[in-house]
Amino acid sequence: MIDNEFDRLLESALKRRAPQRDEAAVNRVLNRLAAPLPRQRAALWRWPTVLLDWQFAPAWPRMAALGASLAVGFVIGISGLDRGIDHAGSSAANLDLGSLVFEPETLTGERP
Amino acid sequence: MDDSDEALMARVARGDERAFRELARRHVPAMLGLARRILGNAADAEDVAQEAMLRVWTQAPRWQPLAALRTWLSRVVVNLCLDRKRKAQWVELEAAGEIKDPAPLAGDSAETAERERLLAAAVAELPARQRAAIVLSYTEGMSNAQVAEVLDTTVSAVETLLVRGKQNLRRALAQVIEE
Repeated sequence: MIDNEFDRLLESALKRRAPQRDEAAVNRVLNRLAAPLPRQRAALWRWPTVLLDWQFAPAWPRMAALGASLAVGFVIGISGLDRGIDHAGSSAANLDLGSLVFEPETLTGERP
Repeated sequence: MDDSDEALMARVARGDERAFRELARRHVPAMLGLARRILGNAADAEDVAQEAMLRVWTQAPRWQPLAALRTWLSRVVVNLCLDRKRKAQWVELEAAGEIKDPAPLAGDSAETAERERLLAAAVAELPARQRAAIVLSYTEGMSNAQVAEVLDTTVSAVETLLVRGKQNLRRALAQVIEE
């Protein structure tokens, strides 16, 4: 038997003897899939896009993050943890250029 | 609303169960048929189809539309079938009680029917990957490139599988074919 004939015979044999659509089996599988579904595996590269998602559904993760940021900022402000930085900045701003350039007088300790 | 496979998968990736169930209604019959043709066992085919759709659900957030969903699903089903074959003994198509086409073709002869029956039985005896390649190519109507994508191999490897599969089938049917 030549190749083409064999191919046609093979195709007809497989298609003829292929199982017909079994509705009962399809329904059984669909019913099993109706049960509570397992957790999805989130892609790691998608994590930043969660913050950029404007659909706000569900909203609670974003609202929780915003609330936590507000709380942290409030605590830092109330406790004065940021004041050390401010003082360091103001003392540097008040420095006279002369004090940086000229040495103090040996007798009086004053600068020109 | 766009109800293409890609659009539904995008919704499934966001946890939309209704979109998932729509995808399942759309693809489970074909996946079930493919699994039955490869495994020759109806019960195992149902397990495979269910497992394949569950993988669609759990991996949807990571799925990228580099290939058609149908191709990806076929690959999942074939891999699950090959895993099952490695673990369990295969059942002959006849013993599995498959639903045969009750309507004979016009002009069909007893000799042709017998050849087809023997050929289908010989396909069941093929090594797993040759059988998968033969089923995907001749029953699902996939091109060699599509079969290569499903089997995660090269086109030349698929051609080799098909050639060797057909050689094995010819050898098995040598006496009947040459009559």
